[in-house]
Amino acid sequence: MRRLPVYLVLDTSGSMVGEPIEAVKNGVQLMISSLRQNPQAIETAFISIITFDSMARQLVPLTELAAFQMTEIKASGTTALGDALKVLSRCIDTEVAKTTPEQKGDWKPMVFIMTDGIPTDNWEAGLAEYRQRKTALTVACAAGAKADTASLKKITDTVVQLDTTDAATISRFFTWVSASISATSTKIESSGKEVTGWEELPPPPAELNIVV
Amino acid sequence: MLTVRKARKEMEPKQYLKLFLATRKPTGEDKQALLEEFCSQEQYLDAASRILALQDMLMKDFEKKNRIEDIRRQQVLIPNGTVGKPYEARLLPEQYGWQDMIAFRLEGVEITGLVYDPASGQLSGIPEQAGDHKLSLKYQLEGDGATGTWQERLLTLIINPDPRSLWKNRPSDKEDPYWKEDEITIAEKLGNKYLAVSSKRGRSHANTGGFRDDDFAFRYFSENGWSIVAVSDGAGSARFAREGARLACSAVVEFLGQQLMAGAFAEMDTLLTNAGAALDAEAQKKISHIVYHQLGGAAQHAFRQLEQLATTSGALLNDFHATLIFTLVKQYSQGYALLSFGVGDCPIALLYNDLQSVSLMNKMDVGEFGGGTRFITLPEIFQSDSFAGRFGFKWVPDFNYLFLMTDGVYDPKFEVEANLEKPERWQAFLADLKGNNAENTAVALKPGNADLPAQLSAWMDFWSPGNHDDRTLAILF
Repeated sequence: MRRLPVYLVLDTSGSMVGEPIEAVKNGVQLMISSLRQNPQAIETAFISIITFDSMARQLVPLTELAAFQMTEIKASGTTALGDALKVLSRCIDTEVAKTTPEQKGDWKPMVFIMTDGIPTDNWEAGLAEYRQRKTALTVACAAGAKADTASLKKITDTVVQLDTTDAATISRFFTWVSASISATSTKIESSGKEVTGWEELPPPPAELNIVV
Repeated sequence: MLTVRKARKEMEPKQYLKLFLATRKPTGEDKQALLEEFCSQEQYLDAASRILALQDMLMKDFEKKNRIEDIRRQQVLIPNGTVGKPYEARLLPEQYGWQDMIAFRLEGVEITGLVYDPASGQLSGIPEQAGDHKLSLKYQLEGDGATGTWQERLLTLIINPDPRSLWKNRPSDKEDPYWKEDEITIAEKLGNKYLAVSSKRGRSHANTGGFRDDDFAFRYFSENGWSIVAVSDGAGSARFAREGARLACSAVVEFLGQQLMAGAFAEMDTLLTNAGAALDAEAQKKISHIVYHQLGGAAQHAFRQLEQLATTSGALLNDFHATLIFTLVKQYSQGYALLSFGVGDCPIALLYNDLQSVSLMNKMDVGEFGGGTRFITLPEIFQSDSFAGRFGFKWVPDFNYLFLMTDGVYDPKFEVEANLEKPERWQAFLADLKGNNAENTAVALKPGNADLPAQLSAWMDFWSPGNHDDRTLAILF
């Protein structure tokens, strides 16, 4: 079966302490519960969580929705976005099956990156690595006014900004991520094609400002 | 922590008094006798004992509260279950480092449909209720036994819904101008062979009340002995693909019927009637020419019909995107001639030589990544150099089966194109049809089997995660 890999790359730096980090955790949990109700998503979507602060690590390896469990996340440290992109690249290399004459590989992954700050490491080096990976769609979310949309714009064209990092706003973002994964799992099933742009995703809610 | 408490416990009241006074009111060397006397008086020693006891109580209670909080915060992951799937997990306090629990019980398991055995820690059964269930672990720490208090730690047990129960079966809109039946299954004689064909709306379309985008058509022309079977898969992204698929199939059947009547295959008949088991180069060349012109003409006719439909209906040609495969078959005294054309990712496979040989009669358009297929609605396919490669011709003494299918069947059953060329995969596919499958649904491919349509229809419902596209399978045998 061709899996739909979904990578959530989440900022857990010190500035996320308190309400934002709790909101992220709840957001992921709600997203998973909601996706489990979609027959296409529960069969095809595989989720991985990568978190980054002073460094990045894969918190949850690519896991089928039915078995997925959200683990504890704590906020501390700086914003090593570059390291996150490196870890993400390596995870894609090892986890996403390529198509060969003998086997149909996985669908190209969907990547959602969320950060509330400015990268504190050499993020361009991470980006250079990430650019060599094939993904269907990368969405970057600048959470709050302090997030650096300029660097995110270099990672992907698809950037949204949240005005604040309160629980309600973060929750709206994850609701939209959930709807986007749902829509993609339905689309690949019916058309055999991946989602490649904005216009194929559900329209983002008012809280998500599209950064042009 | 534990060592500190021990030290305090062991502290003598007198020692405590001395330390207390030394910190609060340091006493000079000259008053050591007074201090000694004070610290020996019964009433002060008694007071010191009570202070020590109270301190001990405070520490004990605080440590316990701390412990309860640590237990509450500790991450505990219980494996998820799925409704209807046997579940088994082990759940004991000591697994999580909670050896200090002197008693425990697990509450709230009942609603999940599971049973918990505290002795073995076995949580098992068949989950009945989906959801994020909150289980309550009630436990006692030291001291709780005497007071009869129970502490609580909530645990989450996730039970997934049975994926099959999530699929809805919504009817398609019968008022739609391009409406078609959600399923057609037919088994009947076709010339001197027998055809079983089924086309079914996939679960992904049924879930949303969508239409079946696949289609097929077939006919036997008694006047000249030729039969034709056509199968098409409408592109999921094209809004009128269902009509594109229907029209593409019917157009080639209609066109070739007319061409046959007009004698366009007369030269081929002559060539094949006089041919031996193997065809000479000259005959091959002539036949290829006829195949190219007649079947290519049929494909072009289908394209033009679709183009015209787009114009008259005011839609775009892209709205009718559909793949197309078709095969013409005729029996001669020495054997069978099979002629084929294909555009898109649906295979035509001929099984012959006692199931030992398979011939894939079309070159499939499969992209490097999903969705790289071609459609009969694309004008460029007719101009491309690869157009000549879309035809197939086979001259065999006899054959076992001719299969035409859409990707709704080929994807789950063969996975990749390369497997379509392996006879063992086709033998396995036949075994699957005969009942070697998870559902134990068997199709008896015998001419005149009155239950064949029902059997094939049941088989077509096979379960394959992630594969819920429309399915069409035509078997000529």
